[in-house]
Amino acid sequence: MNMKNENYVPKIAKVVGVKKENPEIVTLRIRLEKGKLEFSPGQFMQVSVFGIGEAPISVCSSPFESRYFEISIRNVGNVTNSLFRMKRNDKIGIRGPYGKGYPMERFAGKDLVVVAGGIGFPPLASVIEYLINNMDDHGKVSLLYGARDPSELMFKERIKRWKKKGVDVFITVDKGNKKWKGNVGVVTTLFDKYDIKGDVGISCGPPIMLKFVTQSLQKIGIRDSDIYLSLERLMQCGVGKCGHCNIGNKYVCLDGPVFSFEELRGLTEKVWK
Amino acid sequence: MSGSKFYVIKKSDFPKFIGSLSRNFKVFAPVRGEKDFNFKEIKPSKEIDLEGYINTEFPPKKFFIPDGEVLMEYEKGGKVKRKPAKGRKILFGVRPCDVHGLIVLDKVMMSEPVDVFYKNKRDSILVFALNCREAGENCFCESMGAKEAKEGFDLLFTDHGDEYHVEVGSEKGKEVIGKSRLFKETDKEAEKAKLVFKKKINTENLPEIMKDRFESKIWEETANKKCLSCASCTSVCPTCYCFDVFHLNSIEKPGSGKIIREWSYCMLKPFTKVAGEMIFREPRVERVKQFFYHKLVYGKENQGKYHCVGCGRCITECMTKIDITEEVRKIRDEYEKRKLRA
Repeated sequence: MNMKNENYVPKIAKVVGVKKENPEIVTLRIRLEKGKLEFSPGQFMQVSVFGIGEAPISVCSSPFESRYFEISIRNVGNVTNSLFRMKRNDKIGIRGPYGKGYPMERFAGKDLVVVAGGIGFPPLASVIEYLINNMDDHGKVSLLYGARDPSELMFKERIKRWKKKGVDVFITVDKGNKKWKGNVGVVTTLFDKYDIKGDVGISCGPPIMLKFVTQSLQKIGIRDSDIYLSLERLMQCGVGKCGHCNIGNKYVCLDGPVFSFEELRGLTEKVWK
Repeated sequence: MSGSKFYVIKKSDFPKFIGSLSRNFKVFAPVRGEKDFNFKEIKPSKEIDLEGYINTEFPPKKFFIPDGEVLMEYEKGGKVKRKPAKGRKILFGVRPCDVHGLIVLDKVMMSEPVDVFYKNKRDSILVFALNCREAGENCFCESMGAKEAKEGFDLLFTDHGDEYHVEVGSEKGKEVIGKSRLFKETDKEAEKAKLVFKKKINTENLPEIMKDRFESKIWEETANKKCLSCASCTSVCPTCYCFDVFHLNSIEKPGSGKIIREWSYCMLKPFTKVAGEMIFREPRVERVKQFFYHKLVYGKENQGKYHCVGCGRCITECMTKIDITEEVRKIRDEYEKRKLRA
């Protein structure tokens, strides 16, 4: 039997585009020097900046685009600070894709509620790019998106494009400003306000948000086995060896990063307090 | 494997055997230090003195997952070169519990995708295990099913007084014996030493009991009144394999550097720290539980084998005398009491 090996050697890739989403977030368009990248929405890459280190980052572009892929990062850590300063033609290292993404095949014919919070948006953007590719395969898509304040909103052009394709988009900010005329409040306030309904819930965001989003999804009648959450943990390898990302007996890198809430509910170690 | 499984070698011939191995291998054996025995490279001329040897202070994992191993080197312009593995080694005197420790590491590192750095070492380092004649103060390998080694070694030595009994455990072990004239075939199995253990763990239904008592106050007491988060337990555990990877830039050649793998400890806060200063296991009790539950619950659930082999090193090295056998006893007692009340 031929076993798959892991030697942790990154493939060299080039930054071919930089888009500033807001003062803290950039989206990098990346092309591998050799070969193409195939991934499914929700999977992540181990991205390295030589001399700085490596970090797990979700892909945010369409899985149907094979010439390049995109990642969005907020400048909050060592690796992300370096990525944030990247320019066209800069070189980075790429390993992956790793992990289990969202089970897209299970969404056929279902009404989907997608809930994004802050920098948890990128993997869900990849999900929506997949969904809009064929809107007839599934039911309604409602996107609920919350950011801290109006200056932090990202993917503005993509959201416009998705709306045209038939995605219902609801946006809120935790704190508004003088110019802001939209919703103010945490993302879960959108559920009541717009009478959100659906068969499947899909979410990514900070742990505290995921906790309350899960409750909201349960409240509108979505079963725990139909709630899919993408989790963040420290990872050093991406392949179940380094031991950093476990929650109970599950590894976020191998068994996740996407889990159904049914899976998470049964773990010995609690996913959130 | 063809041919005999059992051999004997005279102890008087043993230095000659080690000498002959030294031509192709670096040979490491337990050497007495100021405090404890540890694996050290031995000169072929020097006799191996195992008087009073119970086990090494540090387990053999450092040979297979070296702390600070250079995985690869990068150059400016984005070229990455993997570091080739270095020479062949023999580890003599590995205790059966530590052989079980290696089996745990095998299950983690050699499950798909196979960690090639670990596999290279497992392929190039021969394990010459040595059965125990007496149990140490903190040994409880019998409880963990790790008293006897049945696989995971190349040769297994047993002290028979004037000679060593040798069991062959692999083709590589067989080859080594085949090249030496110092071994005689035998059909006898090794004598079994009567080992007396002061410490025990009752493993009956253990993962279920531990899971039931995950929120027990016993853990908080251990974490808050005893544990210092020094991570001694994780550094001496033969099955602790967790690691960090970091980049080390060259000062002479800017843009070039090394990618290094270093041991990492779940008892310390940075173990679960992500960008934005968020720490998933911030309270000490969460980290203490991670250690005990990985050893006695998650490992058993994921790899079908406890990640504790009963070597007792974590008990020996703990500055505040936290004793895994005692912790488990307290948890089991609490579980039984609650069951009676229910």
